[in-house]
Amino acid sequence: MKISIMWKLLSKHVSKTQLAGFAAANIIGLLIVLTGLQFYEDVRPVFDDEDSFMRKDYLVITKKVGNLSSIKSMFGSDNANTFSDTELEELRSQKWVRKVGEFTTSNYPIYGMISLSGQNISLRTSFFFESVPDEFIDTKVENWDFDPQHPTIPIIVSKDYLSLYNFGFAASQGMPQLSESMIGKVPIMFRLTGNDGSREYMPGKIVGFSNRLNTIIVPEAFMQWSNERYAPGIVDRPSRLIVEVSNPGSAEIQKYMDSCGYEIAGDKMNSSKAGYMLTIVTGIVIAVGLVISILSFFILILSIYLLLQKNTQKLQDLLLLGYSPEQISGLYVKMIIYINICVYIVAAILLAAVRSLYLPYLEAFALDGKSSLIAMLSGLAIIGLITLGNIVAIRRKIASLWYMEK
Amino acid sequence: MQKIELRNALPKVFAGQPEIKSDVWLRPVTFERGKKYLVSAQSGGGKSSLCAYLYGYRTDYSGEILFDNQNTRNLTIREWCLIRRSKIAYLPQELRIFPELTAYENVEIKNRITKHKNRNEILAMFERLGIADKTDSLAAKMSIGQQQRMAIIRTLCQPCDFFLLDEPVSHLDMHNNAIVAAMIEEEAARTGAGIIATSVGNDLKIKAEEVLKL
Repeated sequence: MKISIMWKLLSKHVSKTQLAGFAAANIIGLLIVLTGLQFYEDVRPVFDDEDSFMRKDYLVITKKVGNLSSIKSMFGSDNANTFSDTELEELRSQKWVRKVGEFTTSNYPIYGMISLSGQNISLRTSFFFESVPDEFIDTKVENWDFDPQHPTIPIIVSKDYLSLYNFGFAASQGMPQLSESMIGKVPIMFRLTGNDGSREYMPGKIVGFSNRLNTIIVPEAFMQWSNERYAPGIVDRPSRLIVEVSNPGSAEIQKYMDSCGYEIAGDKMNSSKAGYMLTIVTGIVIAVGLVISILSFFILILSIYLLLQKNTQKLQDLLLLGYSPEQISGLYVKMIIYINICVYIVAAILLAAVRSLYLPYLEAFALDGKSSLIAMLSGLAIIGLITLGNIVAIRRKIASLWYMEK
Repeated sequence: MQKIELRNALPKVFAGQPEIKSDVWLRPVTFERGKKYLVSAQSGGGKSSLCAYLYGYRTDYSGEILFDNQNTRNLTIREWCLIRRSKIAYLPQELRIFPELTAYENVEIKNRITKHKNRNEILAMFERLGIADKTDSLAAKMSIGQQQRMAIIRTLCQPCDFFLLDEPVSHLDMHNNAIVAAMIEEEAARTGAGIIATSVGNDLKIKAEEVLKL
């Protein structure tokens, strides 16, 4: 009885087509938003996985070597291409920077000699060492340390060097190709020359290969010890930095680097742009979905306003009888809540259907899909906001009918 | 609510008119609970405006209207809703019934928020006003006189301190006028409510203590 009289009165002029139009539009909008979120969620592991081919969140940066800086360095000015403390601070304060590591360079001449016993060939070359904090080294090696009592220098070199030797140098010179483990057995003798002219010989060996660091790396402990011993008093500023960044594809980073005149080594920026693009595309898709949802919200608002307008007389009569705006709006509010619950459920079912269409393609990346929690909660938040907006609009509209001034 | 006071009230449309001869406008007037008032007016005298101001759905007047010394302009919508359910029982001149509902439903839609009468009491009132056979008829199918009687029953379906009746018997004959007057006086006597009835000639047959000319 209670509901039926009110419903009998107020359901007149309720347009089923308009409500269906709203529901359809909102389902589409919501589905696009949810699909965007869910797809992003499902695909993101490809970008986040530590071992993944797309994961590149370390950048090695240097200052651009220009003509002027070459001349400066010839005249002994060592500030040209090194990073000052303020520059380091500024870099660290960028919000996309997680960690900054400094490359330390050896400040004394090094000469390396390899004797391949049996063939009576010895290779001799000038050398240099660099070191970075251990956390930036991507290769796990044992005994990555240095003890002055039993001096042996462990070295990590770039994998590219091994490739250069094996496929470039060795093949053309008739030299044997070497595997990683064989290289580790090759003894290398280093001649370290101090600034005062003293010479010391020290054995060393290659203990690992790095994909990330395109240089010759020694433990920081050795670097400190040897710089003090052979080049005392020289305070060196880093000229290369390794930076762990939150989103290496970001244009913001490129912009910052350009503005400071820094160079990023390799093509890591390019390769990580795929991940960045995914974020952008997802953003666009979600925005489109949101726009459709917002438009559908206005369809519903317009439809309800039209409904209330047509029922103005009745609504005012109910107010005169002592019904409060809340009581009168209750019926419409219920109607909207029911519709929006249906919209949400249908969108959720459709999302599951869409997912079942694209998930098989993701299996190629060994992805089995993430939980739908985030997408579903976002959907709930959107539909909740839309419902809330509708309720407020209805209440205000009905309250505005209170006065019947002539 | 014990009293309704008007202090220098005047509809804004009357502002600037040179001679306003009225017992109500621009005067101090007090309606007291338990008393009966007839407000007679000529058409255009602002009779329905007065009702609209007292019932809170128009504010286009100057001066003040006070309920128990509280200025009605300060009442919130929530307070007005309470007044409309338990303090002032209003019968609008234009009746404001719902033609798509039956006569009984038109009464029920008021009674369901006040819970003032039970079904038997309502049916007894239909009986007394001679429209018992119309309870289940659509209001739209009833004559204006029948609609007016139905609207009076609806007005009686709430507790109140004042009955505010705008031309309650304009479409009724002498016989029904007397019945309506008796029913309202009985209810008022029972609850101690005051009565304010307006008319443009056909007065509600109550024993008014005061007759005011608008």
